Amino acid sequence: MNQLIQSLVDAISAGAVLGLAALAIGLVFGVIRLANFATGEIITAAAYSLILTWDLGWYISIPISIIVAVLISLLMELAVFSRMRNHGPATLLIASFGLSFLLQRVYELIFGNNVRTAPIASGLAQSVDIGGIRVQMLSVTTIVLAAVLLIALQLFLTKTSLGLQLKAAAADFKTARLVGIPAGRVIGLSFALSGILAAAVAFVLTVQSGAVGPSFGVRITILALVGAVIGGIDKISGSLAGGFLVGFATSMLASWLPQEMTNFKDAFVFVLVIAVLLFKPSGLLIKGRGVVRT
Amino acid sequence: MSTSSAVDKSSLRWRLGPLWSLVSLLLIVTAATFITASFGKSLQVQVQYALVSLVIVVALQIFIGTSGVLSFGHVAFVAMGAWTVGLLTIDPVLKENLLPDLFPFLMHAQAPWILAVFIGAVIGGLLALIVAPVLMRLNGLQAGIATFALLGVVNLVLTYWSSIGPRSGQSMVGIPEVLDYKLALVFALSAIIFAWLFQRTRPSRLLRAAREDGIAAAASGINIVTQRVIVFAVSGAVAGVAGGLFALTNRVVQSSQLYIDLTFLTLAMLVLGGTLSLSGAVVGTLVFSAIDVFLTNLQSGIDIGSVSLSIPQGTRPIILGLILVLMLIFRATGLTGGREFVWPFRTVRPLPGNPPTNE
Repeated sequence: MNQLIQSLVDAISAGAVLGLAALAIGLVFGVIRLANFATGEIITAAAYSLILTWDLGWYISIPISIIVAVLISLLMELAVFSRMRNHGPATLLIASFGLSFLLQRVYELIFGNNVRTAPIASGLAQSVDIGGIRVQMLSVTTIVLAAVLLIALQLFLTKTSLGLQLKAAAADFKTARLVGIPAGRVIGLSFALSGILAAAVAFVLTVQSGAVGPSFGVRITILALVGAVIGGIDKISGSLAGGFLVGFATSMLASWLPQEMTNFKDAFVFVLVIAVLLFKPSGLLIKGRGVVRT
Repeated sequence: MSTSSAVDKSSLRWRLGPLWSLVSLLLIVTAATFITASFGKSLQVQVQYALVSLVIVVALQIFIGTSGVLSFGHVAFVAMGAWTVGLLTIDPVLKENLLPDLFPFLMHAQAPWILAVFIGAVIGGLLALIVAPVLMRLNGLQAGIATFALLGVVNLVLTYWSSIGPRSGQSMVGIPEVLDYKLALVFALSAIIFAWLFQRTRPSRLLRAAREDGIAAAASGINIVTQRVIVFAVSGAVAGVAGGLFALTNRVVQSSQLYIDLTFLTLAMLVLGGTLSLSGAVVGTLVFSAIDVFLTNLQSGIDIGSVSLSIPQGTRPIILGLILVLMLIFRATGLTGGREFVWPFRTVRPLPGNPPTNE
């Protein structure tokens, strides 16, 4: 029983991280039809910032990592994607693939191939006792962090003018422009928010591993992208739910698969993904067949 | 479009045009190979790798170019081919030491390398055929994600299942040194001829029609999924051959080499040249490989007269990545813009089903 609850808490926390990462991808996709594979490199940049500046104190290190993530995200938009407005999602995906490859090599050149390490928030690595059940402090923190971010995002999207504009643009970019929503501003905003979410993901992952290398963000981005697509990348809530589902499933498989099978946990998730795509190509949360806007 | 009168006027050119598109490609590849190879042993090795890439890119073009559907999964078939050749050509005594957990029948299986390459093609094609009925129903981004998921599954299975390969994290070594750049050239030329002939078959024509206008094609009675399945399986088999050649060229097979980076690099070559034409696949690979070879040698320093030029280690992939991104920004249809070479380099006669060139 205890083991079940522990694994559930871990799975919810893993789902929360992937949900945030998928949301970072979904927010941008909603506005400009870009499934940004290079989101992983935003995460990596934030992780490097955390690890390299942790000595200065968390109150400096965390803001730096957020600023770096937002800047890199905006820079991607300005330098690459803003010049590719007329291309379809498939071409944009390949471009982001290329950008991801490019940035990984840049990190290799700057920071070397070996991992950089630092004990990030080592206090969170302990376990705590809650009513006789031992849970990872980090899992609880992650769930709380994700909840706070989601509530803040929800308030922003529904209570502020800027947020409403973004929400409208994500739902239907063309119509939103017709009613006078400034395109450049909402696109920039979506990339900035995506950067903030990526920084949050980077924080959780660096606490977990304490180390960062050039391809740090690749695995989570693959899973997040896959999650966003099966949840319904066309809808913000779809991306979030899909990401959560994939994270939850991966973590549960890791806890409950027999020892010799745990290496294959991602393979099970991928098979699940193909099955979902077959029955609901436009995503789980999209009603009916949905219109796949391409 | 009233092309019929043009056809009557110059039926000879109409016949020679497409053939010339093949001959010119074969000549370019052969010339590029021998010219580069004449610069010495290390360049011959690099040429051989480029020719292997060429076969992978031709396989990609057969599917992506014909169907207009994105595939991130072809490296999975390349990996199957490489695994097959590795398992069938490594000396059994060596296998018992290196790969102790193999299934007994794999432990004893042995084949001449050329047969192994063909078995690899069959296995790559079979895998493609098995997964195709599922994957080929999807379009656009969903197809990209699903084929990527396939790559992920195959890569994880090859990495961790020690009954069919090395234990996790290790590699297969001891693949015989039988392939040189001339033999690799023969394979690359064969792949181009095969792709060119395949372009003229019924499934390929039907699928090109469906690529241009899916609704009209379906209304004309084309079962798009069936045609895609056929073309996907054929291109999977070619990718399997490429995998075998990769194993014989690299002589070490490791699952981490047959994953995202190779997928990216080969897609980059195809996009650089232009996905819609076979010429695009060839030109893209040649240009990309030429830049790659040039930068590789520049990294270790090139002497021009008394001046020695060099660039820092690690800048090569950065420049390659930049080229792809810039190419996508400024010319997403690739260097060839989806056209084939046509005699005498004047009129452009797209294959039936290709988009009109004067959009």
